[in-house]
Amino acid sequence: MTFILETIRSLTCRFNSALRASCHKNQTRKALHTSAGLLHGEYEFQDPKSEDEVVNITYIDKHGKKTPVRGKVGDNVLYLAHRYNIEMEGACEASLACTTCHVYVHHDYLDKLSEAEEKEEDLLDLAPFLKENSRLGCQITLTKDLEGMELQLPKITRNFYVDGHTPAPH
Amino acid sequence: MKNIKPTSTLARLFRREIGSESLTAAAPSPVAATTTTTSEFQSAKPYEEIPGPKPIPILGNTWRVMPVIGQYTVSDTARISQLFYQHYGKITRLTGLIGRPDLLFVYDADEIERVYRQEGPTPFRPSMPCLVKYKSEVRKDFFGALPGVVGVHGEQWREFRTRVQKPVLQPQTVKKYITPIELVTNDFISRIENIKDHNDEVPADFDNEIHKWALECIGRVALDVRLGCLQQGEAGQLSPDSEPQKIIDAAKYALRNVATLELKAPYWRYIPTPLWTRYVRNMDYFVEICMKHIDAAIERLKEKKNNNAQVHESELSLVERILAKENDPKMAYILALDLILVGIDTISMAVCSIMYQLATRPEEQEKIYQEIARIAPDTSKPLSPSDLDRAHYMKAFIKEVFRMYSTVIGNGRTLQNDMVICGYHVPKGVQVVFPTLVTGCMEEYVEDAATFKPSRWLKESSGQKLHPFASLPYGYGARMCLGRRFADLEMQVLLMKLIRQYKIEYNYEPLKYKVTFMYAPDGQLKFNMINRNNLNQSPSIAND
Repeated sequence: MTFILETIRSLTCRFNSALRASCHKNQTRKALHTSAGLLHGEYEFQDPKSEDEVVNITYIDKHGKKTPVRGKVGDNVLYLAHRYNIEMEGACEASLACTTCHVYVHHDYLDKLSEAEEKEEDLLDLAPFLKENSRLGCQITLTKDLEGMELQLPKITRNFYVDGHTPAPH
Repeated sequence: MKNIKPTSTLARLFRREIGSESLTAAAPSPVAATTTTTSEFQSAKPYEEIPGPKPIPILGNTWRVMPVIGQYTVSDTARISQLFYQHYGKITRLTGLIGRPDLLFVYDADEIERVYRQEGPTPFRPSMPCLVKYKSEVRKDFFGALPGVVGVHGEQWREFRTRVQKPVLQPQTVKKYITPIELVTNDFISRIENIKDHNDEVPADFDNEIHKWALECIGRVALDVRLGCLQQGEAGQLSPDSEPQKIIDAAKYALRNVATLELKAPYWRYIPTPLWTRYVRNMDYFVEICMKHIDAAIERLKEKKNNNAQVHESELSLVERILAKENDPKMAYILALDLILVGIDTISMAVCSIMYQLATRPEEQEKIYQEIARIAPDTSKPLSPSDLDRAHYMKAFIKEVFRMYSTVIGNGRTLQNDMVICGYHVPKGVQVVFPTLVTGCMEEYVEDAATFKPSRWLKESSGQKLHPFASLPYGYGARMCLGRRFADLEMQVLLMKLIRQYKIEYNYEPLKYKVTFMYAPDGQLKFNMINRNNLNQSPSIAND
């Protein structure tokens, strides 16, 4: 029983990588996007394969420290932050159930993001220190348009019990 | 299109700033906004000074049946809760409860926000003592170290929740269930066609039919099976010893008697009363059903794997995703049990309430119908995620029903640390109650609170005061309702299909809302379900 499930799991993984590879080749961003949620951030841990897909962004932590990051098209901003040890928590792992990946998006880039879904907006309503440029990091996927984007982390995302803690990368 | 987003967030921000000063003007630092500082403790008034009824005399015996606050909130609480607010103000202490901690009712949305925000990684949410006893004592061996999410706390809770929450909450898993839920709903509609009389009126026990629909939906999601609760059977009835009928009976029993067990006759805490013994048998039956169908799902997954070596995760059902990830099928058994226990009554009572509100508000119903007719006019086409996304007014209507007639009348937390609330020093261990039914209707948090106005939830209604913590039917934070996305999906699919097909009317004396276990209209839901095809086409419908 266990054996069978393990096999399925490894097959699933292999299939995932195959899918990702083919998406890259064809540049079918949409197909990649639909499967991205299932990848648990593995994709973000791969380096860009060519300069064409590089997207440079900068995270600014709650103390104002800037971390430039060389991301790539298709990266999820939350998992990319985990790769570079940026303190963006993402407690619900992009299940749209919390606001611990709350970020302020630099105004110049706000309109370049896809519009927030109602579910994201409902959660943002409950986020501490909501601003007009607030978004959830887990809902932002990098595109070429976002080259140079700055993402500022809020002072707190949930509360101080939890916000003292640094999330471990996957 | 792209410009909508920033403006709408601004609008929301504006609403919030009017309502919630604690996070803006009054609180310059984040520390002050979320935690209680030493100086606050020093200047706080003592806990004992919090106003509230003195034990025994004022409420007579009523307080004795005060229930436990949780998923299922309780008997007279709605009324008592409203009275407390009127008599004692924004914070009321109910003390002297036998065998349980004090209850602290908080009617201040800013303070509610602070309490929610200070909670640690494993918030304690009191709920359902019967179930707690069943899981942790009676069937301790079965439930073991990871007994699920309902009535479970601390690390055990966190571990279980973390393992299951992705498939259960992630929109991309949930939206795969639109078609399955639609198929269940088609059967529900056939059932309506069969049971309504020549005047298009459904029978007095229509709430039972809604109940069966909810059961069938949750079976499809949590057990990967069509239980068959909506089957017509011979003479339109299921046979009494069929599995679906037995499950319906068990669910009905749970609904009717858990309230009695927890509120009126809590003697089972001390001795195994006949009612308690029956409860345990009933729970055992649920566990048996869950195991049977999950075991079948395991077989199917094996089969799938044998036939097709490349099984992508996105092709797996919710149950299969859990099974593929976990070595022990117990995770799936227990998750299914929890989803069933909390997913039938809540959703079916909410649907009763929403349908009653629709039937008694014909103008609102018409607006929703017009919206649906615009989005998804073709009844032969299956509903799509984008159809649901675009049904803004319908979703706003549901939110407004929950604001004014919240099915779950409140939420609660057991404080895990001392805290200053409304200027009083509240010790840890106290159960704080957030009566969303009361706060959602308070003028100081919600503009024009007494008016039923779905449009207040739309992006366009900027500048209208609406405190984000005043009406929280699904709770907040790490323990936010795990079934939230599925509940929303089920209700949205049902409403969309019902309203598209029927004009729903209610032609009897108005019903009163009452708390049995949840807040819902009390009485016979004898709706008239009139096929829109048979309506004399009014110009407004014909032209749209």
